[in-house]
Amino acid sequence: MNFKRSSTALFLDPSSPAIVEYEKGEKFNIILSPSLYWVKKIVLPVKSAREAKKLLESIFEDSLPKGHYSYTAYKSGDEFLVFAYEDKKILTLLNAKGINTVDVYSIHFAQNEFSSLEGATKINATQSMYLKDEVLVLAPSSWISESKELDLTSVELSKRTIKLQQFGHIVDNKSLYKIGAILVILALVLIVEIFVASSKKDAIVELQDEVFSKYKLQSTMFQNRSTKSKYKNIHKAQTKLREYLSYFLTMKLKSTQKITLIEYKNKTLYVTLKGASKGHERTITSQLDSKGVKYKVSYNDASIKVEMKI
Amino acid sequence: MNQINPLQIGALLVVVIAFLFFKLHEVKSELVEATASYKMSEKLAVEVSSLKSVYANKKKTKNAINRILAQGSLREAALDVKRNKKSIKVSSKSIETKALNSLMGKILNGSYNITNLKIKKLSETKASLEMEIQW
Repeated sequence: MNFKRSSTALFLDPSSPAIVEYEKGEKFNIILSPSLYWVKKIVLPVKSAREAKKLLESIFEDSLPKGHYSYTAYKSGDEFLVFAYEDKKILTLLNAKGINTVDVYSIHFAQNEFSSLEGATKINATQSMYLKDEVLVLAPSSWISESKELDLTSVELSKRTIKLQQFGHIVDNKSLYKIGAILVILALVLIVEIFVASSKKDAIVELQDEVFSKYKLQSTMFQNRSTKSKYKNIHKAQTKLREYLSYFLTMKLKSTQKITLIEYKNKTLYVTLKGASKGHERTITSQLDSKGVKYKVSYNDASIKVEMKI
Repeated sequence: MNQINPLQIGALLVVVIAFLFFKLHEVKSELVEATASYKMSEKLAVEVSSLKSVYANKKKTKNAINRILAQGSLREAALDVKRNKKSIKVSSKSIETKALNSLMGKILNGSYNITNLKIKKLSETKASLEMEIQW
């Protein structure tokens, strides 16, 4: 089996057909075969790997086949080791080998883990890897006269690891950040709006309390409505009383007719007119009718008595 | 290497934003309600206050009626005036119609809560009066 497995280290190569069987809870340190990444050793006009990473897309621009690549760089003396790899390709291979990504502890480039490799090492049935100008390259095993078997037990893993973008092929990081930023800004705007609306509401509630104390209102709106209704009814009744009285005081009466009694009690107004003949009440009622007044009228002993509910 | 799906993060953000929209709608509704309630309270307060100042201001009503009754034409009418906590009663068994006209003109033109009134003609120049004004 070209695909060798140590207790934790695992060499991942696409030409190895084997499915890895492992126990639940076992974790793997994956070492990527040179066929799973592209590497260059170059001099860059920057000081740190972080700065170098910004240039990698343009460095690899013309040399890579079409695909969705991630890039990383490590400093190596005065030069940089720069890598390009396809997350999806590696993830698909892991899946094909039966390895759940949850069980992957770390992922390394063979370039970093075999930087002091001596001679050639077989990685699958047809290919071997060896160092050429400090870069790990692949060659058909048939070209190499002596090639030893891959032994991961003696490999001490470096701290140079990568994290695969499991969903990088769905949305690229830039778009993701842009969409995320827009959504976060939208959320912030909404939070600010909520805060502003809430503050306005609190200010209005405070103003309402001030209105209550300024006008010495009762504690509930129900009580205040009841008070308003009480005084409004008084106002209505008093207006009506004055209105009805004015009708009688300005009424055209016959020379013999005289108002002898005006009485208001229990919200009823009584007006008595004397000196009227039977049938004369019509002259009074017609005037009240024209004003839309509701009344009761009675005639007794040359007296007309008009009764009106106020 | 168990990474979170960016679509899940996006979905979470969308849920958060949906919640914020809902919350904003709720707060804005409360704001509209509070504004309406404030306007209603203010209107009610002004109405109650003005009505009370007319019909429930004991001091103001008492003083105004005292001023009316203190007028020369009414002083001579020898009106019987009884005051209590809630009302004032003015009566006369016989009052000149001129004085009566003067008194009633002022009372009816003012905003007083007349609860009882009885004016009875006694002759061409005299009448009897009973009147109660409450506050």
